Amino acid sequence: MTAALRISDYALGYRTRRGVTPALRGIDLAIAPGETLGLVGASGSGKTSLAWAILRLLPGNAVENAGGITLGHDALRAMRPRELTRLRGRRIGMVFQDPSTSLNPAMRLGDQVIEVMRRHQSVTREAAAKHAEALLERTGLRDPRAIMRRFPHEVSGGEKQRVVIATAFACRPELILFDEPTTALDVVTAGQILALFAELKAEMPVAALYISHDLGLVGRIADRVAVLDGGQIVEQGPAAEVLRAPRSAAARRLMDAVPDPAHRLAGPRPDTTPLLEVRDVSVTYGRPGALGRLLGAPAAVTAAREATFAVRAGETLGIVGESGSGKSTLARALIGVAAYTGRVRFADQDRVGGGAMPPAWRRDLQIIFQNPDASLNPRHRIATILGRPLRLYRKVDRAQIRTATIGMLGEVGLPPDYADRYPHELSGGEKQRVAIARAFAASPRLVICDEVTSALDMVVQADIVRLLLALQARHGTACLFITHDIALVRQMAHRILVMYRGAVVDQFDAAAFNAADRHGYTRQLLAAAHG
Amino acid sequence: MRDLLRQPNFRVGFCLLLIVAIAVAFGPALAPYDPQAFHAQARLQPPSATFWLGTDQFGRDLLSRVLTGARPTVLFGLGATAAGVAAGALIGLVAGVSGGWVDAIVMRILDGLVAVPDLLFALLIVTILGNGAGNALLAVAVAFTPGLARITRSTVLSLRGRDYVVAARARGEGPLWIVLCEILPNAMGPVIIEATIRVAFAVMIGATLGFLGLGAQPPSTEWGLMVAAARQYMARNIWTVLVPSVAIAMVAMGFNLVGDALRDRLDPRARR
Repeated sequence: MTAALRISDYALGYRTRRGVTPALRGIDLAIAPGETLGLVGASGSGKTSLAWAILRLLPGNAVENAGGITLGHDALRAMRPRELTRLRGRRIGMVFQDPSTSLNPAMRLGDQVIEVMRRHQSVTREAAAKHAEALLERTGLRDPRAIMRRFPHEVSGGEKQRVVIATAFACRPELILFDEPTTALDVVTAGQILALFAELKAEMPVAALYISHDLGLVGRIADRVAVLDGGQIVEQGPAAEVLRAPRSAAARRLMDAVPDPAHRLAGPRPDTTPLLEVRDVSVTYGRPGALGRLLGAPAAVTAAREATFAVRAGETLGIVGESGSGKSTLARALIGVAAYTGRVRFADQDRVGGGAMPPAWRRDLQIIFQNPDASLNPRHRIATILGRPLRLYRKVDRAQIRTATIGMLGEVGLPPDYADRYPHELSGGEKQRVAIARAFAASPRLVICDEVTSALDMVVQADIVRLLLALQARHGTACLFITHDIALVRQMAHRILVMYRGAVVDQFDAAAFNAADRHGYTRQLLAAAHG
Repeated sequence: MRDLLRQPNFRVGFCLLLIVAIAVAFGPALAPYDPQAFHAQARLQPPSATFWLGTDQFGRDLLSRVLTGARPTVLFGLGATAAGVAAGALIGLVAGVSGGWVDAIVMRILDGLVAVPDLLFALLIVTILGNGAGNALLAVAVAFTPGLARITRSTVLSLRGRDYVVAARARGEGPLWIVLCEILPNAMGPVIIEATIRVAFAVMIGATLGFLGLGAQPPSTEWGLMVAAARQYMARNIWTVLVPSVAIAMVAMGFNLVGDALRDRLDPRARR
């Protein structure tokens, strides 16, 4: 039988100012009809380049040196642009990472599915609509007819991704590319999407290329796995085999990076007095003013409702919950940028209502944000970024700031010459290290980590987590670890707090995740994380 | 810079501006004749070996007049834009950072001003203040202020919620540091690009005001005025109108092309 997709000895490079930078070398791949191939690799290993090469959507500076890409019997590299346009969507389906960017925001969801079918098949609008409805129903959308009339912003991320998947399957393509289709979704939804993927695959014999940096996840759904490292396939084999006994160093590194709840990273829970006590804290956004109420402005949204919890000195409290459950809102209230009602007691100081925090509080309570691209000012050098907290909290004089800054860089494992660089000259993981160094500049007593690893790939995530734990141990810092990664939080937190729709629904020791008296939502989270 | 030079748009614009810059810097020195000297024997001449670009109705050498006119014309455009940018950026920054009532009131007033076309607005101001190059410059600057204030404000608003600004607030930085060091450097990109494009408009509005007799006064060699004064003689010698018009077009095109290239380069969304 011919393979659905065959790539033989393919090489790709990008023309840059310094000549051609190789991106892919000697790629040999074949996917049989109905088979799922998982393509795994760290960021920068060439996964996405390969996807673009298959779709023939390479940027202008791409240089293809050798090799062939064959879909069925047709050599894709020899095809003319018009033939390729006909082919995409008809014979190759695509599901990308972020469903909100892959759907047209100005078009009803139903029309988007119908458009794809009518473009590639000679069907009437009515027939296409009927087929689209059946497809959407098949993807588990409850009221497909209503969904089809809605615009993308009127449905949730999970529903959007279901529509994208329905579109990808619409013309019964020979091959579907999945590029990290679940990373932009919360845990529970991601779990459902993966289950849907498995069901649809079982029904329709379509070949699938599933791209991800999470070897654990790929191992659950793929038949075979190919590991990409530095633009080369370093290992290829049945999924179960690669997961059980990875042969290449790259595969082992990816394997080790998958958080394993059984392998605890946190020490025993410190037996100290509470450092932070939060009682009945609620945060409300967009409270309309007098004029606004008169003109009928929408009512305020309560993002966090009566949250009550405590963190001991040196303890790590994990906060989990889906996006929009109020985790980050709570963090914003604690650092004094969002007004709240209720009582917060930190380091024997009581505060009611929020507003500007006293200087000592600011020094002792630091925050690290999710995306270092956004949390480091792009126009400041690293030296300035790290120097500010030193000036503000430690009253270090100008002459010594330089030495202190280099000391901080060393503490997070970065070379001293990074002090003169700008953030964009650093990789994502390095930037996050700088953000961590900034937070630990004044030996804080509590650090809030707001999804600090979710913008990074698995391997970098593992490094960052190790660094955080080391710094925490050295400074005796407590940590509020906000995340949606259940496995990770079970590995590194002492206690776990579950938030759902703005409310704290569950609090327990990390070891007691499986106990019988867990809240229903906690069980859902756990089930999703284990597929 | 090297990436910019690779763009043909930028290269053409850059060359045009280079010629203009030479004329601004050394124009009077390069001029072969006194721009005000009458050559009664050679009025309304087409280009010749003696008068390279011909002469006007009084027999004044057009090349000399265009060269000496570069300085007042271009400096007018740059000055008016700089003043407009400074005022607009300040207003936009204040409105964007303070928010609330201040923002609402300032922006509603600016909305009203934006509704009036730039040229009409400039005309209005010159009519009130009186003729002259200085007043014309002020008029163009005032006309530009609302647009630039809007651009600055919208940029500031999007920056205000960025994590690094939130981080600075949480860290306890003073408002001056946050505005001047965290927000302003990041807001300047779009403003600078808008400014380069506006320079071309300023030169054209200045020339239009000169043409209408409301800007520079004779015997100034300001290009707009040159076109205005020569238009009666256009049928007898097209060069009297053509030469200053081409000069104005060169400046406008130069700044527009460079501005476009800069925008493509600096706007991360447009980069691909």
